[in-house]
Amino acid sequence: MKLINKLLAVTAISVALVPGVVSADCGKARLADFDWSSANIHTAIAGFILEHGYGCDVSVTKGSTTPIMAAHYDGQLDVVTELWYDNIKDTYDSHEAAGTVRNLGINTPDSQQAFYVDRATADKYNLTNVLDMNSPEIAALFSDPENPSMGRMTSCIGGWTCYTINLVKQKAYGLDKYYTNFDPGSGGALDAAIAGAFAKKQPIFTYYWAPTGLMGKVDLVRLAEPPFNAECWASMQVVVEDIKANGTDAWKPTCGVEYRDMSLDKSVLASWADSHPDETAFIEAYSIPTAQVNRLLAFYEDESDGDMELTAMEYLSNDDTWKAWVPADVAAKVSAAL
Amino acid sequence: MIRKLLTYFTFPIIFVWLLVVSYNSSKRKPDSVMELLTDPSWLYDWPKWLDIPLMKWINDGFKVFNEKYGIYFEVINDFLLGAILSLKKFLIVLPWPVVIALVVAIVFFSSGRKLGTTIFVGICTFFIGFLHPKFWDKAIETTSIMIIGILICIIIGIPLGIAMARNNKLRNAILPVLDLMQTIPSFCYLIPGIMLFGLGAVPAIIATVIYAVPPLVRLTDLGITLVDTEVIEAAEAFGASKRQKLLGVQLPLALPNIMQGINQCTMMALAMVVIASMIGTRGLGDEVLLGLQQLNVGKATEAGLAIVLLAIVLDRITQAYGKKIQDRNQPPK
Repeated sequence: MKLINKLLAVTAISVALVPGVVSADCGKARLADFDWSSANIHTAIAGFILEHGYGCDVSVTKGSTTPIMAAHYDGQLDVVTELWYDNIKDTYDSHEAAGTVRNLGINTPDSQQAFYVDRATADKYNLTNVLDMNSPEIAALFSDPENPSMGRMTSCIGGWTCYTINLVKQKAYGLDKYYTNFDPGSGGALDAAIAGAFAKKQPIFTYYWAPTGLMGKVDLVRLAEPPFNAECWASMQVVVEDIKANGTDAWKPTCGVEYRDMSLDKSVLASWADSHPDETAFIEAYSIPTAQVNRLLAFYEDESDGDMELTAMEYLSNDDTWKAWVPADVAAKVSAAL
Repeated sequence: MIRKLLTYFTFPIIFVWLLVVSYNSSKRKPDSVMELLTDPSWLYDWPKWLDIPLMKWINDGFKVFNEKYGIYFEVINDFLLGAILSLKKFLIVLPWPVVIALVVAIVFFSSGRKLGTTIFVGICTFFIGFLHPKFWDKAIETTSIMIIGILICIIIGIPLGIAMARNNKLRNAILPVLDLMQTIPSFCYLIPGIMLFGLGAVPAIIATVIYAVPPLVRLTDLGITLVDTEVIEAAEAFGASKRQKLLGVQLPLALPNIMQGINQCTMMALAMVVIASMIGTRGLGDEVLLGLQQLNVGKATEAGLAIVLLAIVLDRITQAYGKKIQDRNQPPK
């Protein structure tokens, strides 16, 4: 009995302590987080500012895209700090139109996604443009073990829009005659395939993107494609949507251009945004360039020993850009907490 | 006595060595050891330096391993991939009614000519393609990976089970390994599997074997241990050698249990199908994943049902065969 009383007392004290930190104006901020590092960094930084600057009671829920986005649409998560808008365009648009969520713009400007070849192979065979890949001799370098007469282009994850875009691009560039559009199944598997090829010093031809931690560690050469223009992109999108709805047979000839910068967007729940105008203004202003994110990813993986909060604090202490996103008093509170 | 003492001493020595190594290799240790005595704050929160550098060891070891021996894994990769591809090619070339007829014939004979089971399995097989025409080829792809995986399980599992039944020390050593294989999250070995074998079916098969072989090993072991001691004594009385005892008495009597093991092994292998598709394996799991990634619940369920149907077909085949053997082993009434 005595022990129980003691336990109760301890619990009461700890419960009493926690709300002391939290001020009443913000209340809860339920942040969504994903299973890749760049999203983790943005969530950690935004979470730190919300918690210490605005006094929000921050909770973070981490998972893969589908369940987390489903929870966001359902109103269970307030803020998404990195949303791969291009990949989930259809479902997101319908929920935004219905007024449940609000897109607050890009978090990482000048991000990239493209086709890459490892440096050693690119230099040896002088590969700089996607069209350089169009020859049986080059395709033989990247031979697909499951379909040995073709080369393997490790592509985007099946079910994401980029997989279908890659399919359309392959056909537009004539790559489909020589290469398979190989679905690696998941982001982790794609990373492992690239890392594995570099460890074994084997040639690899792959779709990939930045900001990513892996990009800073391997030497991939970006293959040039026709420069982006909105008209061609739109005509590609029509074909892409058609294929997604009706299968590969729906393909029609189209032009091909490079990917535009990805929309890595921020999203908030409309109801949360209405009750939290100040916090929403901060999320809207939030933006960190790709080079800085790559640097933070490298710091996170190599120096912080896997400590995301330390990485967020490293950014907040050594870069002053974030002070422009928030009012001076909030910035002062955040600096004090560092 | 000396051996016992040795075991008593080795473990503490290893433990102390680990403590020293983790302290020395930590980047966040205090400036001197004396600080630990003067400042007891490390007793409240788990200290950052009290951390085995297992992560670093595994990463470094794996890197060297991959660079040095990666080439051997490619040989295994080519061999397994060749087996899967030729099996798949054979099954895909066959017209679909022939495949259904083959399944029906296999069930009919393995179940001891039971008409009800045969018709049920035939209908299930038909429904795989009936759910969505795309599923037929995908199911064949999944089945070829399954068959190769289960064959490897049988080749590894049954001899290991027999060895465990005959040697208690081996059993004590293997049991924790089986526990590990059944509980460790599959991505822990899938990702290194990709680095060694490349994307696709082969790391999926390796993962399937790791996940599905334990029940087969356990049930083989159990089946042989459960054989009546009186029966064994009788065999010994007739002067049976160890080998004769195993092949003539223990194995036949353990067969129902072993068949149950193969059945469980098949079911567990099918449970891996969706996870396997997350590392670029083609098949029915692929469709489930695609449906889920597009938030298309109907599509995912449809493909999930196809996996269930495939499971029912494989389950009935293995169950029916086990049942037949069991009936044969029963003394006539």
